[in-house]
Formats: sequence, structure tokens, C-alpha cells
Amino acid sequence: MSIRVHNVAKKFGTYAALHGVSLEARPGEFLALLGPSGSGKTTLLRIMAGLEFPDEGRVYFDGQDITELQVRERGVGFVFQQYALFRHMTVLDNIAFGLKVKKRRDRPPRRAIRERARELLELVQLGDLGGRYPSQLSGGQRQRVALARALAVDPKLLLLDEPFGALDAKVRKELRRWLRELHGRMGVTSVFVTHDQEEALELADRVVVMDHGVIEQVAPPQEIYDRPASAFVHAFVGESNRLAVEVGNGEVRYRGQALRLSGRPAIEGPGELFFRPHHVKLGPDDGRHLTVVVSQVRKLGGETRVDAALDGYAAPVEIVLHNGEAPETGQKLGLEIVHASLFPAGGAGARRSSDQAAPLP
Amino acid sequence: MNAQATGESAATRLGLILVALLFLGLLLVLPLASIFVEALRRGIAAYGRAVVEPDAISAIKLTLLVAAISVPLNLVFGAAAAWAITKFDFPGKSILITFIDLPFSVSPVVSGLIYVLLFGVQGWFGDYLAERDIQIIFAVPGIVLATIFITFPFVARELIPLMAEQGRDDEEAALSLGASGWQTFWNVTLPNIRWGLLYGVLLCNARAMGEFGAVSVVSGHIRGQTNTMPLHVEILYNEYNFVAAFAVASLLALLAILTLVLKSALEWRYGYHGRGTGH
Repeated sequence: MSIRVHNVAKKFGTYAALHGVSLEARPGEFLALLGPSGSGKTTLLRIMAGLEFPDEGRVYFDGQDITELQVRERGVGFVFQQYALFRHMTVLDNIAFGLKVKKRRDRPPRRAIRERARELLELVQLGDLGGRYPSQLSGGQRQRVALARALAVDPKLLLLDEPFGALDAKVRKELRRWLRELHGRMGVTSVFVTHDQEEALELADRVVVMDHGVIEQVAPPQEIYDRPASAFVHAFVGESNRLAVEVGNGEVRYRGQALRLSGRPAIEGPGELFFRPHHVKLGPDDGRHLTVVVSQVRKLGGETRVDAALDGYAAPVEIVLHNGEAPETGQKLGLEIVHASLFPAGGAGARRSSDQAAPLP
Repeated sequence: MNAQATGESAATRLGLILVALLFLGLLLVLPLASIFVEALRRGIAAYGRAVVEPDAISAIKLTLLVAAISVPLNLVFGAAAAWAITKFDFPGKSILITFIDLPFSVSPVVSGLIYVLLFGVQGWFGDYLAERDIQIIFAVPGIVLATIFITFPFVARELIPLMAEQGRDDEEAALSLGASGWQTFWNVTLPNIRWGLLYGVLLCNARAMGEFGAVSVVSGHIRGQTNTMPLHVEILYNEYNFVAAFAVASLLALLAILTLVLKSALEWRYGYHGRGTGH
């Protein structure tokens, strides 16, 4: 099933959680809503579910306007961050709940309900734990029960709120892979909320980056990383260095020094230059590039992480080298920026001015 | 005993424990014991006669009737108020929370007087009620009203912190799975709050049966008609009928002990503690 959100706005009191957001998930797609807390991602998910109602805008399932429909009429599966398992019911009863509360004419016979619950328990690999209570399960197991319970009603849309937020790192990684696989097998259109970029980039077909109630970018993971649409996306996804620069006469200058970047910058005036730690080269300090002083060198696995001090830049410039070279601490070097993105200055919400800015051959 | 952790010496600890026990013994256990001693002073037969005497029986019946009406009503009101406060946001919510505590903060005598002022012969609705020959003050309805007012906070106060802690997730999960409002309440909410609810009902009942001040104002002390057990005790005592007074009082004391036992059993069995309830 496809889901389309059109121009949805939502306020809580005077606080605007969403400003006219539009979004579409294609049938079978796995979509991630990624953003910091307060970005409106959970509100958007809850509006899709029917747990909140928008002040403005419409929500469509397969082209049909379901904005006014209550959550119980929407046929969606919702997995809560804290799982919200019914603590006085066994695992099996939890899973069967959605089938048991159906109206008599739609309700399968008792035996069929049990069978279906057992099937789901198998599916989430908890075959022999049906008789336990939620308090007797580990975090990862509870998460699977919550998922099985949501799947029991054959939802047309699966919504997950921070599905791995409450788990430790190892279980999280395992469950992530498993969920990806499960989605591949079942093909239910799914949307999940996360503040963890790694999770979003690894799991989703497309990532929706949000900030302050606005969608900053919707794109496949690779594109989000390689071609961030705004300064915010660049800063939020992946590691970034950010330089305040002045743009004029086709030149990008940092503290008066013109940077050797290719392409003509599409903006004028104050700007922000972003570049990834591995999109740089270190060379002799010959005055052609920015001068940096190496302050720390760490070798980790196959890469060398270098922190370098740059005049006028408070934090160290982060550099990652892969070719085995390792500068000395205290060494004075020239910093060549190989690939960068340029945005007009003006905070996190500033739009990307041009895609072609900066790459150097 | 972790003297190391707290750092107090053995003597200090012993002293504190002794003070606590002495205090408890003098002010609580001794009076409680004296009730039973006084009640049985003339022997078990006199005790029995005092309890089955017609006025005493009628007082017991009235007390049970008042509790049987006010406790279920406050169970429903309290659960509804706690539900509204913890599961919805609405204007006037903080005012409602404040008003729930009113019966705790106002003197019971004042609570009684409020009803006299409203429904008494000289009260706001006095003429209206007199014309229709409806008697509220100095009659059973007044006693029930005053008792409901006094015992209103118990269930709500017990449930609000519990339901606030549990949040709305469980209910939302049930709704998202297609359950109706009623199904959600019966299958999810009620099981989640049942022990807190029982605890609140227990305390509510103890107070409903034991309330003196407010009931005294609206009752009129008509023997065999509008006397509840606490009022009956007072009348007997004022007539120097000590054995009968203490015999009826002992029934109330037994009720209190039973309440404490049940309350402890609940806490022990289900690990439920009345968190942050302030009484």
C-alpha cells in the first residue's frame, strides 16, 4: 500500500511540531524518518497511524483520504518505542490480542487465532516462549513480540517508533539485520523513526531527514550522504567539517585566503563550506592551501585519524587518511579540500545553493 | 542492618527504635487495646447484648448502606477522574486536580455544613425541597452525600500517580490493534490498575464507615434512623453506657485492623506500593 502525506501541519499548544510537510511512501517501501529530537519525526509517524490528527493537510492510503479515520479503523501496525506489551497477558495472548478483539463476524475461530499466533511466534523466532509474560523476556525478545503483535492483524502499513532505541548496541545490530530481512520477505510498506543515522542509512530504501518540523531531504541513503541538500543534512548525517567562508567574484575565501576549489560557486556573500574528513589531502605547506598544524594522530584499523588546528576555527579539523601515511604531531601542512559543499550562511535550515560547487579534479 | 552504610552507632539506633516503639505503643496500641478491654469489662454476654441491641443493629445497617452506596460511586468517579486527568489534555485540568484534594484539606465539619447550607430548611434549595417533601438533611441522603464528599479523593489519589506512570502507550497499542474503547478499558486499562484500584477502594471504605465529623453535622442523631456507627458510639458514651459504646467501637476497630491486614497482604502479594499518594 502507498501512503501520501500532503501539507500536514501540527501544533501542540503554541509549539509547531510540523510545518506543512508532504511525503510519499511507495508500496513495499522501507522509509526512515531521521532527525534529532524535536524534529517532528515521531509526530509525523503518529499522524500516519491516526494516533494524532493534523491541524492542516491530508493523509492518503492508496489515494484514499483517511485523514479523519481513527487509528482502530486504519489497519496499521504500530510498534511502540517502549513496546507497550500488555504485562498481564502471556506472549501468545499479546500476539493474539488484535484477532481476539475483532467483531464477531470478522473474528476467526479460537483455534485459528491460536494457530496464527503460534505462526507469528515462529516468524519472530520465539517459538517456545509463548507462555511467558513480558517481564520475563529480554529487551530484544520484547521487541520481537511487539512486532509479531502488530503483524497479527495483517497491517497494510507497518509503523515503528524508534524500534531499536531501548536496546544495547549488539542486540540492536542483530535485530536491524533481521528486520531488514523480514521486511524483504513480507513486503509490507514500512516507516520507522530513528535519531540514529547509521540505522537509517543501513535499513531504509529512502531516508527522510527532518529538522524543526520541516523535511530537509528525501533520498536514498547513498544520495543523502553524498549529496546533502542542506547544511543541516550535511552536518547531521556523517562527519563534517564546517568553515565559515566569504564568496565573491567567483572565489571562495576563508579569512581572506582564496580556496582552490573547482566550479563556480552559485552563491554570493557569506557562506558555509562543508567537507567530509576523508575528502581532503595533506601536503606540504606551500601557501597554495590552508595551513594546518597537526595536533593529534590516531591509527585505527586501516585508517589514520588526524586532528589539525586551523587558525580561526575553534574545533580541530577532522581528517581521515586511508593511504597509510601518518603525519607527525606538531607538523605544519597544507590542507587541500578535494570535495566540498557550499551553502549560504544562515543556520541549519539554509538550502543547498548548488550541487556542482567545489569538487576539485 | 547496615550500620556502616548509615554511620549511626548501635546506641543511637537502639535509642531511635525505642522512641518509635514507645510512641507507637502509647499513642496507638494502648488505646486500641483499651477499646477491647473496656468492651469486654462486663463479660462476653454484655458485649453481645450491646452489639445486637436494636439501635446498634440499625446503626450498623445504616453504616453498611452508606458505604455500599458511596464506595461504588467513588470507585466510578475516582477512576473516571484519574482517567481523564492522566490520559487527556483539556483546559481546567489543573483546577480539577486541585479540587480532588479539597475534601482532604477542608475540615469535615465544614464539609457537613456545606450540605446543610445547600439542602437544609434555611438553605438555598430548602424551599424547593420542602415543597416537594424531600428530606436530605437529617436523613439518609444527606449522610450519603457527606460521605461521598469526604471519601472522594481516595480512589482518584491512588490511581492518578499509577496511571500517569503507565502512560498512554498500552491504550494506544490496543486501539491500533483494532480494539474498541470498552475493550481497551476492560482488557488493558483495568488489569493494569486493578491493585491500585483495590487499594483505593479499601481506604475509601474504611473512611466511609468511620467518618464522624461531616456525618455528625447532617445526621441529626435520630436513634434507630440516622445514626451511623461512629455517631452511635458517641451517643452511648455520652449516656455513660461505656460497655455498649466500646462494644460498637470495637467493631470499627476490627474493621480498621482488617483493612490494614488486607492492605499489607496486597502490598506483599503484588509488590504494590501506594507511591506518592500522600496519606
